Amino acid sequence: MGVRTFTKRQVSVSAAVLVLLALYPLAVRGSFPMHLMIMVFLFAMLGVSWNIMGGYAGMFSFGQAAFFGIGAYTSSFLLTAYHVNPWIGLLAGGVVAALAAALIGIPCSNLRGHYFAIASIAFAEIVRIHFNNWKLIGAAEGLTIPMQDESLRNFMFHSSKAPYYYIMLGFLILSLGVCSWVTTSRMGFYLRAIKEGHDVAKVLGIDVVRYRMAAIMISAFLTAMAGTFYAQYILYLDPESVLILPISVQIVLVAMLGGAGSVMGPVIGAAILLPISEVTRVKLGFKGSGLDMIIYGTLIMLISVYQPQGVWGFLQKIGRKKR
Amino acid sequence: MDNLTRRKFLVGGGALALSPLVVSRAFAQGKTIKIGAVYPLTGNLASTGLDCKRGVELAVEIINGKYDLNLPLARTEGIPGLGGARLEVVWADTKGEPKNGQAEAERVITQDQVVGVIGAYQSSVTKTASQATERLKVPYVCSDSSSPTLTERGLRYFFRVSPHDGIFSHDQFRFLKDLEAQKKQKVQTLGVLYENTEFGSNVGKEELKYAQEYGYKVVADISYTNNATDVTSEVGRLIKANPDVLLHASYITDAILFTKTFKEMGFNPKGMLTMAGYIEPGYLPAIKADGNFIIVRSTFALDLAKKKPLVGQVADLFKKKFGIEMSENAARSFMAPFVLAEAISRAKSVEAEAIVKALRETNIPGDQVIYPWKGIQFDPKTQQNVHATGTLVQIQDQQYVTVWPFESAAKDVVWPFPAWKSRK
Amino acid sequence: MADQLLQQIVNSLLIGSVYALVAIGLTLIWGVMNVLNFAHGDFLMLGMFTAFWCYTLFKMDPLFSIPVCAAVLFLLGVGIYRFIVSKVMKGPGLAQLVVTFGVSIFLANLAVMLWTPDFRLIEKPLLSGTWSLGSVQLSIPKFAASVGSVLVSAAVFFFLKRTRTGKAILAVEMNRDAALLMGINTERINSLSFGIGSALVGIAGAFLSMYYYIHPQVGGLFGLISFCIVALGGFGSIEGAFIAGILIGLVQTLGGYFFDPAYKYALVFLVYLITVWIRPQGLMG
Repeated sequence: MGVRTFTKRQVSVSAAVLVLLALYPLAVRGSFPMHLMIMVFLFAMLGVSWNIMGGYAGMFSFGQAAFFGIGAYTSSFLLTAYHVNPWIGLLAGGVVAALAAALIGIPCSNLRGHYFAIASIAFAEIVRIHFNNWKLIGAAEGLTIPMQDESLRNFMFHSSKAPYYYIMLGFLILSLGVCSWVTTSRMGFYLRAIKEGHDVAKVLGIDVVRYRMAAIMISAFLTAMAGTFYAQYILYLDPESVLILPISVQIVLVAMLGGAGSVMGPVIGAAILLPISEVTRVKLGFKGSGLDMIIYGTLIMLISVYQPQGVWGFLQKIGRKKR
Repeated sequence: MDNLTRRKFLVGGGALALSPLVVSRAFAQGKTIKIGAVYPLTGNLASTGLDCKRGVELAVEIINGKYDLNLPLARTEGIPGLGGARLEVVWADTKGEPKNGQAEAERVITQDQVVGVIGAYQSSVTKTASQATERLKVPYVCSDSSSPTLTERGLRYFFRVSPHDGIFSHDQFRFLKDLEAQKKQKVQTLGVLYENTEFGSNVGKEELKYAQEYGYKVVADISYTNNATDVTSEVGRLIKANPDVLLHASYITDAILFTKTFKEMGFNPKGMLTMAGYIEPGYLPAIKADGNFIIVRSTFALDLAKKKPLVGQVADLFKKKFGIEMSENAARSFMAPFVLAEAISRAKSVEAEAIVKALRETNIPGDQVIYPWKGIQFDPKTQQNVHATGTLVQIQDQQYVTVWPFESAAKDVVWPFPAWKSRK
Repeated sequence: MADQLLQQIVNSLLIGSVYALVAIGLTLIWGVMNVLNFAHGDFLMLGMFTAFWCYTLFKMDPLFSIPVCAAVLFLLGVGIYRFIVSKVMKGPGLAQLVVTFGVSIFLANLAVMLWTPDFRLIEKPLLSGTWSLGSVQLSIPKFAASVGSVLVSAAVFFFLKRTRTGKAILAVEMNRDAALLMGINTERINSLSFGIGSALVGIAGAFLSMYYYIHPQVGGLFGLISFCIVALGGFGSIEGAFIAGILIGLVQTLGGYFFDPAYKYALVFLVYLITVWIRPQGLMG
C-alpha cells in the first residue's frame, strides 16, 4: 500500500470485510471457529508488529516471543500480585517490552542479516531461561490468572468468546493503523532506506540507530499488547507457552507468507497459516504420526521457493494484470 | 480442507472471514456417549501421549464389551445406567502446548458435544484444559497429571484419581524412614536434583520441604535444563557434594543422559530415588542394564499381579491388543474412563451437574482398581482421590520390581546401590 | 575441589570439540553462500540415525559407519541445495532464512513418522567405558569423538587451504563475482560446499551416536548452539568456529559447575551477545 492514498474500491472492500468480520460471531456455532478466528487475529497482529521491524526495517527478528511473553507476564504479574487492572497491565507490559527492546536494541543496532536473526534468538532464549527460573513470577510453574466476574473492566469473559473476538479485532485494527502510520511517515521512508542500504543511509545522514531503535520499540510494544491479550484469554501462562522459539518462528512465517513489507500481508498470512496448522492438527494430529507437521514444513518450503514475495505480492500481480 | 484450498483468496479479509466456516461441522448424537481425551499425540511428548492413548483405548473396549473382569462396568456391555449406551472417545491432540489444551477441550465440548473430558498428561496442559471445562461446566476426570497445584485451585468440575507429586515425594521419605527402621540402613544427607519445568521444580519444592520435616541434610540442591546437550557439570557438583541418597525428578531425555553420565563419572550414592523419566517405556530399552538398582516412584507395576490377579488379566489384554507390555503411563490413563463412565451410569444422565454429583459420591473399592490402593473416593474439598498412593519400584535385572511398601514388595530392595565399577 | 575443576575442564574440551565440528559444517555453508541453515541440527539427527541403522541392520559400529554417515549426509545436503536452497538464493533474504525452517520441521517430523518418537541408544559400541587418569574420569567414546572431531576439523582446514577445489571454495567465499570471472563454476562450488558442510555434521552425528541418545528432536539445541558458535567465530571462519566451539564448551560446563546449571545455556547466549556487541563481525571475522 505504501504511501499512496486509498482508492474508492479499497475503501469499499475494506468496509465490506469489516462488516463480514463483525457479523461472523453471529453466524458460527461452537467455540472452535471462534477460537480459530481469535488466533488468526492474534497472529495477524503479531505479524503486523513484526513487519514494522522486519518487513520495513529489515531486522529479521526471530525473538518476538520474548516481547510477547514480557507483555503477558507483566500484566499477569501485576494482576496476581497487586490486583492491578489488566487494562493498565496492558500498557505497563507494552512499556516494559519497549524498554527491553531498547536494551537489546543497543548491542544489536549494528548487526545485520543473519547476525541480527541469531542475536534475537539468543536474547529470547535468555529471557525464556530467566523467566523459567525466576521465583517471583512463578518460575516454571507459571501464573494462573484468578477467575473473576466477566466484564470488560476485568478483561475476562466466560459465557461467550465474542467479546474476546471483538477486542482482538480492535487490537488488530489498531496495529494496522500504527503500521500504516509508520510506513507513510518519514520514519517509514528512512526505514526502507536503511533496509536497502545500511551504509548508504548512514552517508545520507539518516540516524540509523535511532530509527532502528524506534522500529524495534514500537514493534515490541504492540507484540506485548498481544501477549496481555493472550494471558487474559487463556488465563494461564508459563514460559513454555509464551516464550519459546516456535512462536517466534510462526510470527515470521505469518509475515512472510502474507508478504513482508506490506501492511495487509501478515493479516493474509495469518488467515491462511493458522487455519491450516489448526485444522491439520485436529484432522491428522490424533494419529500421532507427525503428518500434520510434515505438511506444515512442506508448505513453508513451497512458499519460500515459489512465492517468496508472499501471497500479497501475488494478489497484487493479479490485480495489476486485470487492470 | 478441500473447500479451503479450492476457495480463491480474492480478497484477503474475505478469505479471513470465511475460512473457518468449513471447519465447523455439527455431529449427530447417536446412542453413544462421547468423552473427550486430550493428549500430546504429536511433538516432543508424542511417545508418552500415544502410551496414554493405548491405556484409554483398552479401557473403553472393556467398558463397551463384555469382559469377566472385576472392573467397573466390565461385565456389562456399554453403560448400564443409560441402557447400554456405548462410550466413544473423541481424540484431541495438544502437541503438548497449554494453549491447545484449552482450545481442544473447548472444541470437543462445543463441537463434538462430549459429556466429560479426560487427559492431558502434562500438568500445564491439564491446567488450561480444566479451566476450559470449568468455564463450560463439563466434568473433567484426570488420572495422569501429577502437579499438586491442580487440585488446589478449588475447581468444581475437576477430579483427580491418581496421586500427585506431593504424595509421591512424601512416599520417598516414608521409604527412607522405613529403610532406616527396618533394614538398619543409615541415611543422613540428600542430593536433590530436578529439571526446571513445572513438574521438576514442583517436586524439588516438595522434596526440600519433606527433607526438613524428616530431618535430612540437603547437601546439593540442583535445578537444571531438561533437554541439555551435556550434564557433566551437574554430575560434577553432585560428586563434590557426595550425598548418601540422590532424589532425581526428570523427564526421559535427561534420565537417559544422567544415567550415562553417572556411570561415566563414577557417581555412587547409596541409593537413587527417582521419578517419571526413569519409568517411561523408552527408558529401559534405551539404557538396558545401566538402569539396574535405580528406584522409581510408580502407581503401577506388572508384578502387582502376584497379589492382585486383576492386574495380570488387564496386562495380558493389553499385551494381546498392542503387542507391548503395559506401562505406568498407560496404566494411569487407563482408570479415568472407568471413573467417568461409572459415574455417568449411576447418574443415569449425561447432564453435567448430575455427573458431578455422582462423581462426588464415587466409591470404587480397592479390588476394582489396578493399583495397590484402598479404592477411589474424592475429597469433598479438593476432589483429589483420598486413597491414591504411590509405590516404589526398583529396576532389578532390567525389570521394574515393587520393593516398597515393604509389605507389598515382590522382592527385597537392593541397598546400598552397588558401585558402578563393581558391576559387570 | 581441584580434582573436579580438572574434570570439568576436560569435559568442556570433550563437548566443545564436538560442537566445533558441528559448527564448522554450518560455517562453511554460511560463508560460501550466505545461507543460514536452520535444519543443521536436524542434519545432525539424521547423521545419528544413519549410524544407528548401520549398527542395527548391518552390525556396523559407528566407528566404521563414519564414511556412510558422511556420504548419506553429503547426498542429502547436495539434494537439499539443488532442489530447495538454490531456488531461493535469488529471492528475498527472508525467504532464504525461512526456507530452512521448513526443511527442519519437515525432517524432524519425517523422522517421527518413519522411526517413531522412541529413544534409541547404540547398545554396545566398540568404544565404551572410562579411563581413570588419576582423579579424572575420561569417557573413552567421548574422548574418541573429541579426537576425531579435531582431526576432521584439521582435515577440512587443510583441504580448503591446500587443494584446488578447496581454494576455489575459499575464493567464492571471499568474492563470488570475482570467482565467477576467474572461471570458477560457483553453482558447483555452492552445491559442493553444502554437501561437505552436511557431511561434516553427519560425521559429528556418527561420533555422538557412540554415547548420546538418538531421537527425532535431538538436534534442536545442538543446532541453536552451533548458530551462536558460528556467529561468535565470525562469518565463514573455520578457525573461528573451532575456537568458539571450545570456548562455548568451557562457558557451558564451567558456568554450570560454578554458577547455576539452570542458567548454563543462558550464559552461552549471553557470552555470544556480549561478544557481538563489542565485535559485531565475531572473533575471527
